[in-house]
Amino acid sequence: MRKILLFITLVLLLASTWMALTKGRIEGPSANPDSPVRNIIYAHVPSSICSLVCFTVLLVTAIGYLATGNESWDHVAAATAEVGIIFATVLNATGMIFSRAEWGPWWTASPRLISSAILWFLYVVYLILRSSLPGSKQRRARVCAVFAIIAFLDVPMVYISARYMKEIHQPSFTFDNPWQRGAFFMGMVSTMFLAAMLIWIKTDILKIKSRLEAE
Amino acid sequence: MNDMVINVKSVCKAFDTRNVLRDIAIDIDTEQAVLICGINGAGKTTLLRIIAGLLQPDQGSVELCGYNIRKDPEKAKSQFGMISHKSMVYPELTVLENLSFFATLYGVKDSDTYITKLLQDVGLLSYRYDTASILSRGLLQRLAIARALVHQPALLLADEPFTGLDAKACHHLITVLNEFTKNGGTIVMTTHDIDIGLQCCNRVVVLDKSNLIFDAKTSDIDTERFLKDYVSYARSET
Amino acid sequence: MRYFWLSLKAIFIKDIVTELRAKQVLPTMIVLGMLIVWVLRMASEAVLQSEAVIGPVALWIAFLFAGLLAQERSFATEQQQDCIYALLLAPVDEGTIYLAKLFVNIVLLSIFEIIIVPVVIVAFKLNINNWPALIGVLLLGNIAISSVGTLFSAIVQLSRARGALLSILVLVILMPMMIPATFALLLVFGAIPPEMIGTGALAFVGTLGSAVGYMITFDAVFVVACWLLFGFAIKE
Repeated sequence: MRKILLFITLVLLLASTWMALTKGRIEGPSANPDSPVRNIIYAHVPSSICSLVCFTVLLVTAIGYLATGNESWDHVAAATAEVGIIFATVLNATGMIFSRAEWGPWWTASPRLISSAILWFLYVVYLILRSSLPGSKQRRARVCAVFAIIAFLDVPMVYISARYMKEIHQPSFTFDNPWQRGAFFMGMVSTMFLAAMLIWIKTDILKIKSRLEAE
Repeated sequence: MNDMVINVKSVCKAFDTRNVLRDIAIDIDTEQAVLICGINGAGKTTLLRIIAGLLQPDQGSVELCGYNIRKDPEKAKSQFGMISHKSMVYPELTVLENLSFFATLYGVKDSDTYITKLLQDVGLLSYRYDTASILSRGLLQRLAIARALVHQPALLLADEPFTGLDAKACHHLITVLNEFTKNGGTIVMTTHDIDIGLQCCNRVVVLDKSNLIFDAKTSDIDTERFLKDYVSYARSET
Repeated sequence: MRYFWLSLKAIFIKDIVTELRAKQVLPTMIVLGMLIVWVLRMASEAVLQSEAVIGPVALWIAFLFAGLLAQERSFATEQQQDCIYALLLAPVDEGTIYLAKLFVNIVLLSIFEIIIVPVVIVAFKLNINNWPALIGVLLLGNIAISSVGTLFSAIVQLSRARGALLSILVLVILMPMMIPATFALLLVFGAIPPEMIGTGALAFVGTLGSAVGYMITFDAVFVVACWLLFGFAIKE
């Protein structure tokens, strides 16, 4: 079952890459018309949505753990945070590359850039917190869940507060043809699949690990 | 009120994956002084902390004077006081301030006269305006007892109360504890020093590898022999 | 209800008295704050006419780090003689413990602010045209720093984790608040000419009112959330 799903994910990823780089290629007004850098949007936008989705999943697992005390929730939380930070890193990295190519600076204080950076920091601090709590696992799980909830509340506050900075980000993008829309859609779907698969596999690893420790 | 002071029902507890308590059940009536003994890691302290509500059991329930420590914590918590080898008092506050602080937390009204009597009982009256930081270990333990009794509980939990006390301080503590049971109080105590513990307890419980293996009243057993057997058992285990 | 106020007051007074007698943290906070202000004052010397801009920044940095010191203390004192167990054993609600500790931290940081704000005003030659707004913004920032800090102090101290953990936990959550907070102080100190606000020539957009509104929302959200979650944080 999992092998089939993994295969599907792989196919989706390849297909979306192919679409993005061939028929869905974005041309048009740019500082450098020949530069392919605009196509980074196919990785950038899905990553940003994925890292937010992961954060929401983290919130759900945190509430789940605090409500039930079931260890499985904690495994999912750990896996989700690790996957979330991958996408948050991709989000920031692609954003920085694009910014450098199109506008010049690698980074500047602008609402979405600030939000993405803080999102990344929240993930990093969550993972550091996870790895630096001595003592019982129950306590670690509880403390991490508390932090995850507070961090989740921080996200909307980040988005509002970033509005106090001048916006330079690319306004919402419009696509010219169905191929581009298709490529974008494929990018979203394949990234979501990838995230789900990674969380699933990592959760299983953590479960097996804790079972091994029990023996 | 129920005659049963403590009612522990099939309590299990595991830390991570290590079982610390397995299906422990124990009932304690009023005017009993129970000594819980066992070698290190047998689960004594864990059991006491579960009774006190500081730890949550994985399974089972604890009732204190008929109040469930999980479902009715506020009522259950007012039923008992607890001492341990650490004093649980604030070194910067004076003896009197410590006691009236905890009296307020327990909602005791007009605590002044009772605190004075309490200080007299434990022999700290002349120290009442001194900060706790200057008290010696023995005096600090007296203050800890006074703190635990400030709301006149029916039950006293004591976790290794004799650690770090010299013979004289131990003797004083035993007197105070015996006084407490004579006035109708119940004591549950864990200690390594079962020799000393037996001097103020009338029931002995032995925990071994997370199980309860022995439970008897001291009047029913030959304490000398029990002591000898226990010492050789403890030696063989460690 | 009466019991709630009595126990809240008891814990609050206990902590303040402890701090006044032991003088554990307030002197350190004040000296640290002055050093931070001094370092930034030296750094800003190179750039002419930047005092009005760097002054508010220095204030927030000093508050953040002094706040961390105060918060770290708030559960370290409970830890030394296992006093935290005595608190947990008493029939007092965990939320009450949180609120009492929060008030203590707010008071400590307010004392710090009363001393450090004049220092900053003198060092950076600032002019204040709106005293009530200054006090309001500082108090709102104070509540935000303390609310998150009190919760995480309990987590870090009672888990016996490294103290350094507290600083990253608190700072990462406070990051968004720092934008409107800095903006508000810049307006209060007149570092931003009024005609430039919202013109697009400036990195900041918005008004003092909306920045204060944001800070009020931030405080409300995190005080309530931390208060509700505190029970999970301190239980064994």
